[in-house]
Amino acid sequence: MDLILTNGMNLVYAVATLALIALGLAVVFGLLGVMNMAHGEFVMLGAFSVYVTQQAGLPMLAAIPLAIAVCAIVGYLVEWSIVRHLYSRPFDTLLATWGLSILMRKLVEAGFGRDYKSIDQVLPGTVDVFGIAYPSYRLLLLAVIAIFFGLLFAWYRRSNTGARIKAMVSNPQLAAAVGIDTARLARMTFVFGVCTAGLAGVALAPLVRVEPYMGIDYLLSSFFILVVGGLGSLEGLLIGSSVIGGTDTVISTLFAKTSGYMAVLLISILFLWLRPDGLFSRR
Amino acid sequence: MERRLFIKLAGSAAAVSALPAFGTALAADPVKVGVLLPQSGPGGLFGPSCENAANLAVAEINGAGGILGRMIEPVFADVGGPPSDANQAALKLWKGEKVEAFVGMHDSAVRGALTNLFKGQVPYIYTPVYEGGECSAGTFVLGETPAQQLEPVIPWMAANKGASKWYLIGNDYNWPRDTNAAAKGYIEASGGTVVGEEYLPFTADNFDSNLAKIKSSGADAVLITLVGGASVGFNRAFASFGLPDTVVRLGTLIEENTLAGIGAENSKNLFSSAGYFANIDTPAATAFSDAYHGKFGADAAALNSLGESCYEGLKLLQAMAEKAGSLDVAELENAAEGTSYDGPRGRATMSERHVSRDIFLAEADGAGFKVVETFPAVSAGRNCS
Repeated sequence: MDLILTNGMNLVYAVATLALIALGLAVVFGLLGVMNMAHGEFVMLGAFSVYVTQQAGLPMLAAIPLAIAVCAIVGYLVEWSIVRHLYSRPFDTLLATWGLSILMRKLVEAGFGRDYKSIDQVLPGTVDVFGIAYPSYRLLLLAVIAIFFGLLFAWYRRSNTGARIKAMVSNPQLAAAVGIDTARLARMTFVFGVCTAGLAGVALAPLVRVEPYMGIDYLLSSFFILVVGGLGSLEGLLIGSSVIGGTDTVISTLFAKTSGYMAVLLISILFLWLRPDGLFSRR
Repeated sequence: MERRLFIKLAGSAAAVSALPAFGTALAADPVKVGVLLPQSGPGGLFGPSCENAANLAVAEINGAGGILGRMIEPVFADVGGPPSDANQAALKLWKGEKVEAFVGMHDSAVRGALTNLFKGQVPYIYTPVYEGGECSAGTFVLGETPAQQLEPVIPWMAANKGASKWYLIGNDYNWPRDTNAAAKGYIEASGGTVVGEEYLPFTADNFDSNLAKIKSSGADAVLITLVGGASVGFNRAFASFGLPDTVVRLGTLIEENTLAGIGAENSKNLFSSAGYFANIDTPAATAFSDAYHGKFGADAAALNSLGESCYEGLKLLQAMAEKAGSLDVAELENAAEGTSYDGPRGRATMSERHVSRDIFLAEADGAGFKVVETFPAVSAGRNCS
């Protein structure tokens, strides 16, 4: 019974964190069509924001504004200098952001060194949940992710900006014709996407390894989620995270971690081959 | 001024090199030694400390007259990529730069490619911790084998830490698998049992299913052969679930960088077994550490067993060459058995192209390691079968 509960909690945790990690790519790739190969590097910038604030003796919450500021500035500059010239040229954005990811890794390596950075635990210790000991910080993180996605979902459905983004995504020319400043809207959407990637990095920093090359894994898992879930909707993102996270957790628990990873790869390949639009696509 | 400086320099250079070798050194060409190390890829973290350590060894050896009266000229090459690239880099040094000996600190896949390339025609010293079993002619191995890291340590863990039910977890390749194969024998001999064994892909960053299995298996000890980032992530998650209070951890490749990533508060009851730690408290190790930081600064790349092994590699080359009176690979082969030298790790003695040496068991203590037991002159086991 305890084991089932532990594995159940782990499943929820895996799905929630995957959705958080993939959100930034879902926005940038799903809405703007920019396959941002530097997605993981923005997660890395968020994690390093926590390192910097802890080194300065500040509480972890101070990392949130820092990460937003850093990712917004870098994201704005990248959109303005590179990405805006390449909309509707997906392969070129892929190459350009791939180069950008190398540059970001190397700059952080030059500034902070290649070695692993240890982030102090936040809320150390465990809490009893129905008789099993579960790390307190993870429980807090689960609650924050749930609230965050709830607010985001409501905002995207109800707000004016959400409606404009949808208009821009489904027909950019028409959206521009009715007076929507699509260039500015696209830039803001890009900046929002990379900022959420940075926030995911902040949230995960106390739990994972932190070093300049940490981003690559996050890019891969985010990509698998979008392949399965489909582009352009929050529903697709959550479904994709559930399928990828669920498969990995269940197969890894029943068999071994290698089988779990293989199952994720197989599912992704099958989707790319047989159902390239994913399970839930607005496109 | 220029002429004066030249005369001064030439005079002192002659004096320095003439003293130990009685003048013959003046005529000798430098001996080029290829130092193969990862400057990129997953092992790139260890490139800087290895390069520093090798340069320190070269400076010391040259300062004392070189190898057989010839100054060493190190030639560095990056072998952090795939084996085919490493082969190209080594071939360039060997045939192009006329390198006369190689010292390599890289993974076993690259070692396999290099022994095929060299075919015993050039001396090659392999320095890092590895899975054992290398038996190629002309290849001399310095690194710790599973036999060295585990044979004395597992009984110690059983006697002093009550480790009896072991869970073995590692990345999915030959070093963890071979290490665990050896470990099983030592665990049985110590009266313990293996309650679980699992191998993870390098991409794994979620260890929850493994931790649940460790918990439900009732293990009281975990043998960790995860490497680098995987080890950092696993150990952090392990601690977040509160497991260190009841389960001890032993790793055979948890060095200073990995420990820094794990963090002091996540490293309770974490042990590491190796031939070198930056905190070994012996005169030789302290002198080495002082010289290293004196030469490269207080915040030079942190010392660790892999980086330091590059220093040992050049020391072993010197000791073997001096015993053989030559750098010719056949003569080195004949003279190698029984060669010994003293380095930061203590005395190393060559036997079957491996070395027997002291092994240290250290416990994580804040940001560093504290040696809790030293096992003297541990044999590398049988590697040629």
